[in-house]
Amino acid sequence: MPRTAPPLLPPFSRPPSRVAIRRVTSYQSDLSTLLYETVSEFALPVRGRTVLLKPNFVGSDPLGMMNTHPALIAASRETFLRLGAERVLIADGPAMDRDTRAIIESVHLREYVGPLSRVFVDLNVDDVERTVLRTHASRLRELYLPKTLLAADFLVSLPKLKTHHWAGVTLSLKNMFGVVPGSCYGWPKNILHWAGIDRAILDINAAIRPNFAIVDGIIGMEGNGPIQGTLKRCGTVICGDDPVAVDATCARVMGLRPDKIKHISRAATLLGHMQAEKIQQIGDTIDQTCNPFAVLEAFQYLRQKPAARPSNVN
Amino acid sequence: MNDIRILEDKSASAFVHQECLPYLRQSQNIDGGWGFLAGKDSRVEPTAWATLALSEYCQGNEIQDALSKAIGFFQNLQLADGSWAASPSQLRGSWVTSLACWALLASGTETENLTAGLRWLQEDRPGDSGRWWRMLRRLATNRNISRQSDSYYGWSWTPGTASWVEPTSYALLVLRSLPEAALSTEMQSRIRIAKQMLYDRMCPGGGWNCGNPMVYGVAGEPQVTPTAFALLALLESSSRSEIEESLNWLEKNSVTVASPTSNALTNIVLHVFGRQIATPAHALSHNRVQDDISWSIPEAGWVALSLSSKQHWLNLKCSSVRL
Repeated sequence: MPRTAPPLLPPFSRPPSRVAIRRVTSYQSDLSTLLYETVSEFALPVRGRTVLLKPNFVGSDPLGMMNTHPALIAASRETFLRLGAERVLIADGPAMDRDTRAIIESVHLREYVGPLSRVFVDLNVDDVERTVLRTHASRLRELYLPKTLLAADFLVSLPKLKTHHWAGVTLSLKNMFGVVPGSCYGWPKNILHWAGIDRAILDINAAIRPNFAIVDGIIGMEGNGPIQGTLKRCGTVICGDDPVAVDATCARVMGLRPDKIKHISRAATLLGHMQAEKIQQIGDTIDQTCNPFAVLEAFQYLRQKPAARPSNVN
Repeated sequence: MNDIRILEDKSASAFVHQECLPYLRQSQNIDGGWGFLAGKDSRVEPTAWATLALSEYCQGNEIQDALSKAIGFFQNLQLADGSWAASPSQLRGSWVTSLACWALLASGTETENLTAGLRWLQEDRPGDSGRWWRMLRRLATNRNISRQSDSYYGWSWTPGTASWVEPTSYALLVLRSLPEAALSTEMQSRIRIAKQMLYDRMCPGGGWNCGNPMVYGVAGEPQVTPTAFALLALLESSSRSEIEESLNWLEKNSVTVASPTSNALTNIVLHVFGRQIATPAHALSHNRVQDDISWSIPEAGWVALSLSSKQHWLNLKCSSVRL
């Protein structure tokens, strides 16, 4: 049975969110244990359910700075299986290359996850269903979305920590562009750009409501991201059950102001918390992990001095 | 060397006739269409690639029967304005109209469905072709972020959005089947502008990608699919240096390619431009046996097309339509 989308609530009527920051030195670390311990703290309702992990696959990436690393994907999959999920799928619809097979071969996904036939779904070519959008921030009124995505009980956004030359940053909210099928809208999914990237991000996330986010910040990308930027070692994994709060925290870790990032501040009106005082921090603190990312000249305004730090509850 | 070539031809023929074509025939849905994967809902794009592949090897009643059903699928799904939508439940036509026309032409169906489809292509203009849009672009503060000329346009993926390499290439490939005398001066001019757009969007050093060729002064990386279709669309201009550069990139890149789509499309292009193919039939066959992911219908279609020695699908002629 498809999951019920959580209600759209303004910040004043939603409880505080929790975001965990974990320092991780490399992809060779024991990610499975770290993620299991961290995600367990959220008591997620995944037992007996189908969980869909949505990584960010972009293209060939020899330096490992563009795509969500397969080690983190495999550890996430193992975590949700250990938490009792009946099935954990990995699904993405890359926006910049229709040869998804070439991308998953180039990132060696099979070597980390095992046989892919029953595990991986190419959302670009999945069967689709008309979905009326719940918000009208952009001029989009409906989207044809993959049935596998709509049928999943629990959706996890699994992006890479990167800057983005149009949106400022690309994190768990922007990662949801990948669920819009290329087989209906092309490569790139240009209809989303024409509708306004920032506004379309709100509309898509309000429609499909990712339940959880795990951001691969072990190695990220700074500067001219999301493809042509520079490798940035950040050494963190950031996760939580409010994607807006996760992205706001990621922005702070990147030394950026979330309230200046249009799609985060727009999403904060209905989907989650951006304000630091509404985010309870678990694990490491932003001060301990903040590692400013270089941004393009056009995005220097994001780098202003951040506001108050969130409280640490651990 | 000749012996190797004969063995390879035999291997290709066996692989196509024993693997690819039966897989395509068996994957056809009751409505005559194909889904992107066997057993999935019928869609125009995979149906077009399956039809092109089966038409290329059109022998025997089984294939004829499959093609007849496919033609019925296209006829049933055509929208009132002559276009086809990417998914049957969508109400607006898109780039798949080029592919549907191409498939109808390949199956020998020069009916009013084909005429209406080509007329829609003639009328369809991308969002970046209008004067108003260009004026706004000139005033935009971010106009210099990506390097491209706003003077050129081709075809878009979906109505009202920008021109992109692949949909433009598909439109050019199907329009190439019409003799020049069947095209109005305006249409001939539009085709010229679309070809200029393709050259303008080439990545520095050759090849094309799904995005912008250069953003913030950094060159984009080419990709196989857009490069292959852009090269096929520009086949008549094979003497230009841009074509040579792009073929060189495709040839060099083929060493690292590990997917049936990229292998097949690379082979098609290298073959029609007279270069040595990169992935022999036995390697494609071996990959299919080893693969733990089912081939998609377009993948199977492209592999079958890549192993055709005739390449009829790239040399179709349409005699009944004037634009």
